[in-house]
Amino acid sequence: MVFPAKKILRYIFALFFIITLNFFLPRAMPGDPVINLLGEDFIAGKEAVEKIREELGLNRPILVQYANYWKNLFQFDLGYSYHFRARVSSLIISRLKWTFILVAPSLILGTIIGALAGSLAGWKRKSKGNTFSFFFFLFIYCSPPFFISLLFLYFFGFRLGLFPLKGFYTTGNWIDILKHLFLPVLIMTLFSASRNYMVMRGSVLQEKEKLYVWYARAKGHLEDSILFQHVFKNASLPVITLFALDFGFLFAGALFIEIVFSLNGMGTLIYQSILSRDYPVLQGTFLIISFMVIIANYLTDWIYNWIDPRVRANR
Amino acid sequence: MKDLIFQRKKYFIRIGGFLFILFLLVAIFANFIAPFQLKDRFDPFLPLGLKHLLGTNDIGNDLFTEFIYGSRITLLVGLLTGVFSVSIGVLIGLFAGYHGGFIDELLMGITDVILMIPRIPLIIVLSAFLRPSVGLMILVMSILWWTSTARVIRSRTMQIRSMGFVESARCLGFSGWHILFYEILPNIVMIIIPEFLITVASAMISEASLSFLGLGDPSLKSWGMMIHHAFQRGGFLNGMWWWYIPPGMSITLFVLSMVFLSFAFEETEIGMGEEVAIAPFNR
Repeated sequence: MVFPAKKILRYIFALFFIITLNFFLPRAMPGDPVINLLGEDFIAGKEAVEKIREELGLNRPILVQYANYWKNLFQFDLGYSYHFRARVSSLIISRLKWTFILVAPSLILGTIIGALAGSLAGWKRKSKGNTFSFFFFLFIYCSPPFFISLLFLYFFGFRLGLFPLKGFYTTGNWIDILKHLFLPVLIMTLFSASRNYMVMRGSVLQEKEKLYVWYARAKGHLEDSILFQHVFKNASLPVITLFALDFGFLFAGALFIEIVFSLNGMGTLIYQSILSRDYPVLQGTFLIISFMVIIANYLTDWIYNWIDPRVRANR
Repeated sequence: MKDLIFQRKKYFIRIGGFLFILFLLVAIFANFIAPFQLKDRFDPFLPLGLKHLLGTNDIGNDLFTEFIYGSRITLLVGLLTGVFSVSIGVLIGLFAGYHGGFIDELLMGITDVILMIPRIPLIIVLSAFLRPSVGLMILVMSILWWTSTARVIRSRTMQIRSMGFVESARCLGFSGWHILFYEILPNIVMIIIPEFLITVASAMISEASLSFLGLGDPSLKSWGMMIHHAFQRGGFLNGMWWWYIPPGMSITLFVLSMVFLSFAFEETEIGMGEEVAIAPFNR
């Protein structure tokens, strides 16, 4: 299967743009580039600063710096964090898995729940249960993630004492980890489900007016089997697009949820870096998240291409 | 059939309109509604009461006053971002859709590239480097938020472009500008407005999220800032729900009112079109 060259060009350009932006930001922003590259926690005498400037190559022409930047990227060298006293790349890798444990199950569960509930809601719009689910998911959809997290933490953790308020211990056993992860995963799932619900509902509403549905009904198929055997497949295409977009959204959304629940992932890393103005970590995380979003977009295009023959024909 | 749909939508429009006007009035007349000034100080950590409806915070500011004044900042950021980014999106969508060919390829290429940048992480990096301010936030969000509008406007413009009245305007010798702004633009107002409403909602959520991270304007207290302070300065751990639930709930209600109003512009049943649902929220 050949992939359209035009689209690949866009992906490459997006990646190039983000990396270039990331290169110029610390050099163009107000303040000393040495501090902008090393973070506010870097404190040294004048001579040491000059020496570091030399080492970072800031005295050299900007094009040489730019070439070096690319070279470092290929070696996965994202700089050094003076705040955490660690290399940014190893810092991100060590945190990434905890975010992944939070995001992956939520994304999968949320897509399944949202797509199922949404297709039912679009199919039988008038039933009471579907009206309720519509308003429930609409409410979640319209709320900032951190606010819902605060509410849940207050009621389930604080008031009812069912879940721990804080902390996420990497040494704990599985039950402990599950206990810490339950509320965050629940909230993440609700958010993911609410978006999938809205998209799926709208999609089924459009799809159910099409002729093949009436034909299937005229042939005497049961309503439920029309929905799940025929309509669902056709209506679920936008959900696949959403899966990619959600990938980026969930990493940003996970950020807030992690902060509220003090989980040890990327979000908390970003939060700590904001508080200490640790620029190398912030830039590194931005780069990694962008990279993952672009890859997810690419994969989605691929899957779309593979599932929907119309896309292939239109090329 | 059409009447039936309208009957069902009526309630959404009424509730949405009522909430929107209510919040707008509160924001405009904040200095008449608020019982105290923002700088006035009383005993810290007072609970709910008649004098201080929502109690006071850690340094003794009246929380109800903060809540009322906060509406101004939050609404301002949302509405201004909406105006700017929708304007950019409409212009780009119109040009891409009307001219087609190379211009279309170029503009939609740029749109696709910007769409792929994770917005919230980028704004976090930018606000960390620069001094956080409301102006910066509006500027950056306007530059990043227009993409979904541009796509919707483009596809509608492409439909309208080949219609009879546009063709005849072209035959009569009107210029491209005239056709774009006097013939096509009036016909897409009905899809610009819902785009605007959804963009406002999305900008408000993002503003609140960034403020919650401590990247809001420190001199101005928005609703997001209030929640940030409640979380940072012990309001949350002390169980003072009146500190963060009113502002958080207001954000949700305002966003809901925007979404309800946008239902009014849907052509068929209540539900969200693909673009509206996918596009804007908290990325």
